[in-house]
Amino acid sequence: MNRFLSKDFLSGLMFIGFGLIALYFGQKLAIGTPVRMGPGYVPRMLSLILIGLGILVCIVAIVSGSEPVERLKWKPITLVTIGIICFGLLFERAGLIPALVVLIMISSLAGEEFKFMEVIGNIVVLSVLCTLVFKVGLGMNINVLHGVW
Amino acid sequence: MELLDNLALGFSVAFSLQNLTYALLGCLLGTLIGVLPGIGPVATIAMLLPITFHLPPTASLIMLAGIYYGAAYGGSTTSILVNLPGEASSVVTCLDGYQMARNGRAGAALSISAVGSFFAGTVGTVIIVLFAEPLTRMAQKFGPADYCSLMALGLVAAVILASGSVVKAIAMIFLGLLFGLVGTDVNTGAQRFTFDIPELSDGIDFAPIAMGLFGIAEIVVNLERHLTRTGGTIKVTSLWPTMEEVRRAVPAALRGTFLGAALGVLPGGGPTLGAFSSYTLEKKISKNPGQFGKGAVEGVAAPEAANNAAAQTSFIPMLTLGIPSNAVMALMVGAMIIQGIQPGPEVMTKKPDLFWGMIASMWIGNAMLVIINLPMIGIWVKLLTVPYRFLAPAILLFCCIGAYSLQNSTFHVMQVAIFGILGYVFVKLGCEGAPFLLGLVLGPQMEEYFRRAMLLSRGDAMVFLQRPISLGLLITTGVLLLLMALPSFKRARKEAFVEEEG
Repeated sequence: MNRFLSKDFLSGLMFIGFGLIALYFGQKLAIGTPVRMGPGYVPRMLSLILIGLGILVCIVAIVSGSEPVERLKWKPITLVTIGIICFGLLFERAGLIPALVVLIMISSLAGEEFKFMEVIGNIVVLSVLCTLVFKVGLGMNINVLHGVW
Repeated sequence: MELLDNLALGFSVAFSLQNLTYALLGCLLGTLIGVLPGIGPVATIAMLLPITFHLPPTASLIMLAGIYYGAAYGGSTTSILVNLPGEASSVVTCLDGYQMARNGRAGAALSISAVGSFFAGTVGTVIIVLFAEPLTRMAQKFGPADYCSLMALGLVAAVILASGSVVKAIAMIFLGLLFGLVGTDVNTGAQRFTFDIPELSDGIDFAPIAMGLFGIAEIVVNLERHLTRTGGTIKVTSLWPTMEEVRRAVPAALRGTFLGAALGVLPGGGPTLGAFSSYTLEKKISKNPGQFGKGAVEGVAAPEAANNAAAQTSFIPMLTLGIPSNAVMALMVGAMIIQGIQPGPEVMTKKPDLFWGMIASMWIGNAMLVIINLPMIGIWVKLLTVPYRFLAPAILLFCCIGAYSLQNSTFHVMQVAIFGILGYVFVKLGCEGAPFLLGLVLGPQMEEYFRRAMLLSRGDAMVFLQRPISLGLLITTGVLLLLMALPSFKRARKEAFVEEEG
């Protein structure tokens, strides 16, 4: 089982996966001829090579083995991603400060230590800093707080 | 004399108040982010890319170059003081630099590294000036087929630098090339892989990818590893090295400079290769190799000079041929394309002020960095004590705002999130991001040249073997590929990377 959960085997699968996705979504693109290549010529070529390399990586991984994948820690990557997405959703709708507060809160939870007062301090410092740098200093056309400033 | 005229033009551009300010700003920001542990030059540049987009092209490239050197200098500082290299090229500096610091010679190590780097930077700049013209003239003879082969060589050479499996690194190049295809096909106007998302019709923006792959993924990995500092921060007392230290450092720095400069020009070369090779060289020729790893001055002077010299000369293939030799140069190419400049031989002939101004500002930037780093070292040391739990959210925030500011669109923020996840997967699977980035940047151009070459040859792929330049480049590529498959070369490559981790 370990053989299949190795770094190399899974990377091989990833390459094959991306190759197949590109083949599937690129199937409507015209291939054309080598002289006048259509938009699909190079994508198809690249996808096939990528799939080939992926298979090669997989075979090598099964035959000679490779390192097992490290145990995943879901917390940091999930929280950081959620934080960025929330920022993206809030930034135009609510303004810089609400988006900032949510992002800092969520991403601070991703770390090993979470001290509420420290996080509040960080938020205050960064709010002031960002407002001064981006709104006042660089004059970016952004809302600090939607409907207010 | 033409050379002097060019340099004069360059310095007149670089010494304008505006460009001096941006160079200084770049150096300061680069050092600021570079000294933060766990963030290397690639992540630093990726993060700061958006700031430069709204500047005029010359100023923006000058600032980016400044950020690059600043981050490199900052990385050396963290290596010496806290044993945390920000980047692969300063890993070797940790070996002896941190030991010197523990022996109470932190100040000496810092100043030797800064002055050595400055000297190497100066030599590197001179080499760029000397090589730029002839190389550009040569590049102008290149046809589409030659360019295509040159890019293939550049991409394959970059693989040597990736640690781990060669096949995986090559697959990463192809994955990058594939991502580079997203958008409108230039020849036919057909939409490729855009999934009817209007924002994707111009292609996936380069900056959010770089930020996600390098910035976000790096932060997440650091958060996982509970980035903790080894021991307390070391106090910096006197910056002056002793006479004995100077006597030993000078020849080492000289050797490092020339070795680094030579290796930096090679496609796929760059600061890391330069630093490792010069450290090995010093160890080999030293009378008492036992000192290395215990605070040998040569072990700081040589690799620091080498990585800076190589950092300079790695601009040569990028500026003259448009071929980036490493991830940082790929970012520079991306920045140039965003500014509407197609990197390649035309830059020098059509935009001499930008070309020479940038080169002149490289030297000015290096001079500024000595000043920024030595007298102001106290400030940077203080910065090292800021805990990561404050830094990580702040860096994320700047990435998000930066991504938004690219086109005032939250779509880019979402892209950062998506490529952050992809970058994390790459790290977990041991796939290098650098070959991916190079493929991504070169992809569209390479396709263009490939299609043009095939059109000119009426669909005969033999054209790549019939043109002498193209044939030579392809043979070199083939030899490199064969070398990488050889057991002895494999072992040497593995050893180089083991030393990196040790």
